[in-house]
Amino acid sequence: MSDITGERAMERRLPKFIRRIDPAVATAFGCILLLLVVGSIYSTSFLSVEYLLQQLKVAAFLGVIATGMMIVILLGQIDLSVPWSVAVGGMMACAAAAFGHVGEALAIPFGILCGMAIGLANGVGVAYLRIPSMIITLATNAVAQGLMVVYTGGFSPQDSATAAMRYIATGFLVPGVPNAVIIWALIGAAAVFALTRTTFGRSVYAIGNRERAAYLSGIDTRRVVLIAFVVSGGLSAFGGVLLAGYASKAAQSMGDTYLLPSIAAVVLGGTSILGGRGSYLGTVAGVILITLLQSILSVMQMPEAGRQIIYGVVIVAMLLLYGRQRRTE
Amino acid sequence: MTSPETATAPPLLSMSGISKFYGGVRALEKAELTVMPGRIHAILGENGAGKSTLIKIMAGVVAPDQGRLLLDGREVSFASPADAAASGIACVFQELSLIPDLSVADNICISNPPRRFGLIDRQAQRVIAAEALARAGADDIHPRILVKDLPLSRRQMVEIAKALARKPRILILDEATSALTAGDVAKVFAVLKRFRSEGMALLYISHRMHEIAELADECTVFRNGRNVATYKAGTRSETEVVEMMIGREYKNVFPPKPAHVSRPQPPVLECRDLGWDDRLRNISLTVGEGEVVGLGGLDGQGQRDLLLALFGVLRGTTGEILIDGKPQTIASPARACHENIGMALIPEDRKTEGLMLPMTVRENLSFAALDRVARRGIIDRDKEEELIDGMVRLLGIKTAGLDIPVGALSGGNQQKVVIAKWLMRGPRLILLNDPTRGIDVGTKQELYALLRRLADQGAAILFYSTDYDELIGCCDRVLVLYDGSVINELAGDRLTERALIASALNVDQARMTEARI
Repeated sequence: MSDITGERAMERRLPKFIRRIDPAVATAFGCILLLLVVGSIYSTSFLSVEYLLQQLKVAAFLGVIATGMMIVILLGQIDLSVPWSVAVGGMMACAAAAFGHVGEALAIPFGILCGMAIGLANGVGVAYLRIPSMIITLATNAVAQGLMVVYTGGFSPQDSATAAMRYIATGFLVPGVPNAVIIWALIGAAAVFALTRTTFGRSVYAIGNRERAAYLSGIDTRRVVLIAFVVSGGLSAFGGVLLAGYASKAAQSMGDTYLLPSIAAVVLGGTSILGGRGSYLGTVAGVILITLLQSILSVMQMPEAGRQIIYGVVIVAMLLLYGRQRRTE
Repeated sequence: MTSPETATAPPLLSMSGISKFYGGVRALEKAELTVMPGRIHAILGENGAGKSTLIKIMAGVVAPDQGRLLLDGREVSFASPADAAASGIACVFQELSLIPDLSVADNICISNPPRRFGLIDRQAQRVIAAEALARAGADDIHPRILVKDLPLSRRQMVEIAKALARKPRILILDEATSALTAGDVAKVFAVLKRFRSEGMALLYISHRMHEIAELADECTVFRNGRNVATYKAGTRSETEVVEMMIGREYKNVFPPKPAHVSRPQPPVLECRDLGWDDRLRNISLTVGEGEVVGLGGLDGQGQRDLLLALFGVLRGTTGEILIDGKPQTIASPARACHENIGMALIPEDRKTEGLMLPMTVRENLSFAALDRVARRGIIDRDKEEELIDGMVRLLGIKTAGLDIPVGALSGGNQQKVVIAKWLMRGPRLILLNDPTRGIDVGTKQELYALLRRLADQGAAILFYSTDYDELIGCCDRVLVLYDGSVINELAGDRLTERALIASALNVDQARMTEARI
């Protein structure tokens, strides 16, 4: 017994963040630094405060969406309904804005609620009907798309974002820090708390590692899976609300460019695609990494096709790297 | 060890000095076996005597640590099951190895289908399958039918045909008849006898004594990883066979049992006529406060299903479960752990059912009791720490820290974590599913003492073990299961290894007693 307490005391002496740091997270942060260095060689403006804050603001939208994706991936599942959950969030919030003062006040919660409804369908399908998440989320994505096409008649919606939506996406509550970044920080803090300090978070990790063991430990695993998908849907929709506020209106394809990046950000941040392992800090690193990569590629005038190829290759490379790591453990 | 006549003909396969260790656990030690052509050789032994390891070595599934295998007098070593199959050794296992969605013919030829122009020649495959089925005495099965459309006993026949299609010289049947109907058994026996006359060597593992009596030429009894006796079939009585299977070193590792006291009614757990599928039949039992009740019998007679059924894991169970005399519907483990039931299940496989191996010792320890250390879903870390420290001390878990993955611990310590995790809930009814498998003797002893202590503190314990010594040493009563139902209850002086093995084999007790007189 004495050696245990001794070891533990020694462990405590090390700063917590050094003890806990995951090599994958360190790699992701290393890549961010590398990208900034490469960028600054190309143009010194890459290191300016304005540019970095601008990137952080763009990253915030992805960050909010990736938070939900991360929880689902930690369970060993995936949420492919992100594109139209984002679009539904943005479009429904804007649609609510058309209904006078009450509608304007309820625009943001209404948008999020619609996303949660999509998440609910996903969660029921995965947890209770045992449909593979890859199938059910793809299906709800298609249904959401269909509903939105019916709603808009196939045209871009005419409603525009409310002042509140524009404010949370583009305003400055704290001078110099975009509100979107503050919102991401709040959601991130909530996610860290939920994942590390609550029974829900523990259950998410446990289910991702060994669903059977979690079930046999008396955890209502189905409820946890359901909640995770609802949260993911809600956060995707919230990302859509922010995006609509940012662009002043919603658009049909506003979510399309978020599916792959949100998965990539989570995986690049060291979260195991098989579930059960990963930290939110890693996801933050992944989100920033993806955003910077996107930005630098577009500054370098890399065409969209090239960007897509690079994403895909980076994800595959990282998966190979992490997969190898896990085997050698 | 070998009978006199084995010296006259050259053996087909002989194994000598075979040892196999799993970690520190001995599965086989210097085991010998000689297989003669044209004979049916039965292998007997209780759970964990080394039978299955021996077969696995013969079939190339595992490699022995020591010893030699001689096939036709030449030394061989099998790198894989395919290697063994190529040398003419085929196995029929109890757990079916068939793919349900493929046809019978596809299954029979799965390892080496006939090819034409690089594609599978379906017609030739059907011919091969039909031949093999005919040889197995199951020519009523059409080769084109899907395996999933066949009843269990027919599938077992396909399994036998599949082994025959490889044209084996040695055929190993491991509990191959347990799923068969009486009619099929008779057919299979006729077929096996024909093979014997054709010069094939057959190894027959079964716990059905009458089958062995009818079929076998020689019998070898295994005990403790060694062959203890080989004799000509029919020369020993059932009593003598049971006698040979007994005889483990009996160490005084068990805590003393309390004198039988009258227990307050109603019992903590009572179940009436519990049934599930056809794996559990009319099981009625009670477990009282402070009582350790054992579940015995050969492996796979429904003990595991019974524990899972009680814990709410299985769907569609019939019968009634009463907790403290009140009927309860336990539909899920979450319900079973609930305050007013207070059940805990130490599962069979700690690696997949008990623990989340990559997660830390801390997270694993508090996982089942999270609702105890959390308020409104938020974990109180100080309270968690306090409970965990208490458990680590109580069970003497040896770990290099609470924040290392639980997978890094030794098997015995992992098992302690599984148990500690449940004790943190303070359960009143503890179900244990073979908790000492693969752990060292020291930890076992600690576990026995712990169980008794928990019982003394008022817990009701239902304890399944494949180790008869444990059942005898630990339990106040033992229920013996056979084929999904309780066939005997042993307590007090009647709780002996002889009685346990006899009931497990479903050998008539009365007849045995007569034989002894």
